[in-house]
Amino acid sequence: MVVGDLAQEVDVLVIGAGPGGYVAAARAAQLGRSVTIVDKDELGGVCLNRGCIPSKAIITAAERFTQMKEAEEIGLEVTGEVAVNMKKLMDWKNGVVKKLTGGVGQLMKGNKVEVVTGDVFFNAKDAVRVVSETSSQTYKFQDIIIATGSRPFELKILPFDGKRILSSTEALNLQEVPERLVVVGGGYIGLELGTAYAKLGSKVTILEGTKSLLPGTDDKLTRIVSRKLKKLGVEVITEAMVQGGENKGEEVVVKASIGGEEKEFTADYCLVAVGRKPNTDDIGLENIGVELDERGFIKIDDQCRTSVEHIYAIGDCAGGALLAHKASYEGKVAAEVIAGQKSAIDYQAMPFVIFSDPEIAYTGLTEAQAKEEGYNPVTTRYSFAANGRALSMNQSEGFAQVVADKDSGLLLGVQIVGPEASSLIAEAAFAIEMGALAEDLSLTIHAHPTLPEVIMEAADSLVLRLNK
Amino acid sequence: MAAYQFKLPDVGEGIHEGEIVKLFVKAGDKVEEFEPFAEIQTDKAVVEIPSPVTGTVKEVKVAEGEIAIVHSVIAVIDAEGEVNDQEEDQAASEEPAKVEEPVKEEKPAAKEESKPAADKKQKVLAMPSTRKLARELGVDIHQVTATGENGRITAEDVRKFAEGGDTKSAEADEVKLLTEKTSPASTAPAPVETGTEERLPLRGIRRTIAKRMVESKHTSAHVTIMDEADATELVAIRKWAKPVAQERNTKLTYLPFITKAVIAALRQFPTLNASIDDEKQEIVIKNYYHIGMATAIDNGLIVPVLRDADRKSIFDLADEIADKASRGREMKLEASELKGGTFTISNIGGYGSQYFTPIINQPEVAILGVGTIKEKPVVYEGEIVARPQLYLSLTVDHRLVDGDVAARFLSQVKRLIESPNLLMMEMR
Repeated sequence: MVVGDLAQEVDVLVIGAGPGGYVAAARAAQLGRSVTIVDKDELGGVCLNRGCIPSKAIITAAERFTQMKEAEEIGLEVTGEVAVNMKKLMDWKNGVVKKLTGGVGQLMKGNKVEVVTGDVFFNAKDAVRVVSETSSQTYKFQDIIIATGSRPFELKILPFDGKRILSSTEALNLQEVPERLVVVGGGYIGLELGTAYAKLGSKVTILEGTKSLLPGTDDKLTRIVSRKLKKLGVEVITEAMVQGGENKGEEVVVKASIGGEEKEFTADYCLVAVGRKPNTDDIGLENIGVELDERGFIKIDDQCRTSVEHIYAIGDCAGGALLAHKASYEGKVAAEVIAGQKSAIDYQAMPFVIFSDPEIAYTGLTEAQAKEEGYNPVTTRYSFAANGRALSMNQSEGFAQVVADKDSGLLLGVQIVGPEASSLIAEAAFAIEMGALAEDLSLTIHAHPTLPEVIMEAADSLVLRLNK
Repeated sequence: MAAYQFKLPDVGEGIHEGEIVKLFVKAGDKVEEFEPFAEIQTDKAVVEIPSPVTGTVKEVKVAEGEIAIVHSVIAVIDAEGEVNDQEEDQAASEEPAKVEEPVKEEKPAAKEESKPAADKKQKVLAMPSTRKLARELGVDIHQVTATGENGRITAEDVRKFAEGGDTKSAEADEVKLLTEKTSPASTAPAPVETGTEERLPLRGIRRTIAKRMVESKHTSAHVTIMDEADATELVAIRKWAKPVAQERNTKLTYLPFITKAVIAALRQFPTLNASIDDEKQEIVIKNYYHIGMATAIDNGLIVPVLRDADRKSIFDLADEIADKASRGREMKLEASELKGGTFTISNIGGYGSQYFTPIINQPEVAILGVGTIKEKPVVYEGEIVARPQLYLSLTVDHRLVDGDVAARFLSQVKRLIESPNLLMMEMR
């Protein structure tokens, strides 16, 4: 310890200012605790700065661009060229991000949360050291919430160089539309960005190691997306085992073994999106005995408590589904527990959304999962092709399907692939949390003509099926 | 290090829950194997539970005043060395170790639960706000009986359960923790306003007594007969024996004498030392004499058993009664010391009462209520004189013991008490 280094005493310390951390900080402050939040970067974490928000901005721009090019279909003639100004697009995207991070700053200020910048390292069970370029300060805390999130997983054989071999972070900051883009990993990040760049004009190849895109997602949903990718000219190669790659200066060459055959893919950029890794390895957790699982995620109980008293963990670094909204939910739970409330992680429906084309969203149980849990599931489906609004939006691909228990009629899950699926899933999650029957969905009036009618219609046929 | 899930051990035959009276440790403490971990109050005794392993307490899942159910996890201990006899922390063993395996973002909902607390439970039909209410009231929502449509648990159901109106929990032998506190805020020393009422949870010993008493009244056909015995000689012999007893540090009361008298009479009337096996429709006559001694303690009543009282001397019985009464008051009796009685004696003489109608301690069929010994004018050898009288109340189960038998038994007890010499003759 440096002479004169006095530990600063704080009440609640939150490390990581992403959607988990800032929500936890605000809630703890609202409940009367005095809160300090530390992040090494901008407020907002990956979600606002390098994830959800910037990618959605780019996806929206790409989608509008496609719509403009296809406007003739619906009788709109564009005279002159529709072009992408990548610099402007990125500026706009950065503006969106700034507005939101500014909002988080206001939220912190409004709740009198002190914001500190720096890297955090635990040096005791009740103290961390925060190191920034200009200072180093020890903080002693009463309670701490670890919300350090996750980062892109790096392939040893294809390490990020930030120039030609990119993680999602750099892929969200390209200053030009690549002519050719190779995406390693057909999970949602690779798929979302690959689709966006394909729409902006790139020739995109997606290399996925498993048998299908979006491993873990119901393949009935994925099929619709695959069909659209084909239309967009995206080449999807499954069971492609990437062997390595090389930055050749002006381009990048990725080698993969496909069906036992070595193939090379040359592109301007290679985006590697093969998963994420928890940020739990360099903050000194091993010094204080916080238990991690074998993949490095912090083990927590249903009140976000770690194995060490007064230390809580939420969001990506605590494992489970790596989702911003899960992190925010857990952030509230941890803050409330710290404030002495009896909150717990207790949800019945976690919504999953993928901004593919068309969008995929699901919550609750699939038919297969429901069977596994001992239900007697029935599934019915309703197509967007029969929905007035979808047709009038010229986006009628996809369907919604509803899973319910045959014996009780209880709504168990909803899966959607189609326009605005990401928004439509909210109704389903709410219904499941409320313990609704499929019949409750069908008896609720849905405005016409709107997309959510699809859920009502699917529930309607399910009720008919149950009553047969 | 291994996370050891410390489950509440079986503290006694047939006992499936107990109240945590005292915790000797808290999270973060180091514990040694066999060191006291907690005190659990079961039906009628407080049992000390030792730590099963040496290590650091990671989490204590119960609080003092809570009711824990046998085999439920009451604490997680980071055990030193290997722990073989119990499963390790679920989360640690759920998935095979894969080093440097990236996590796919697309995890299906059902598989994301790697948390130790999230064991597979049937879905509870309750709105999120109701589930929250349950947590706030310390109610395990899985225990609540649903009254809503389609088996939905309503906020009202949760509130009722919290107030103790729902008795499902008492019978639930599921491995669950009830987090109801024994001492609610209302027991805090606040000035009691007149005209108000206080509500205290019915817990622990009180709950057991309440249950047992009503059960007994519902089971047996209670008949009580009363008589008084001339205790002149009994008083004299005790007076004579007292200094002798004191020499051996024995506190001699009247109870050992009465016990001996009861046993002698029981030999003569074996149907009072019996029980009824309802299921098999059989009468069980017991050829052993385990005499229960109803003993008042701070918050209720317990019945320690003097096993094979027929084979013990009066001094031995006196010692045993004193020992069990004092350990009973400290709630230090083992569950086994409170079980297996064949006949019970309830002595309320110390409080000056004469007659009462004791309730039979199931599955026994008779109980002798001993009142005070008091000088009273009686006709003795043709004259009215003051003599010490002992008041006796005998309750029998009329299913098995008819009035004449009961009366003859009581008169035999009376005879033996009145003539300790005769009692000596009857002793084996």
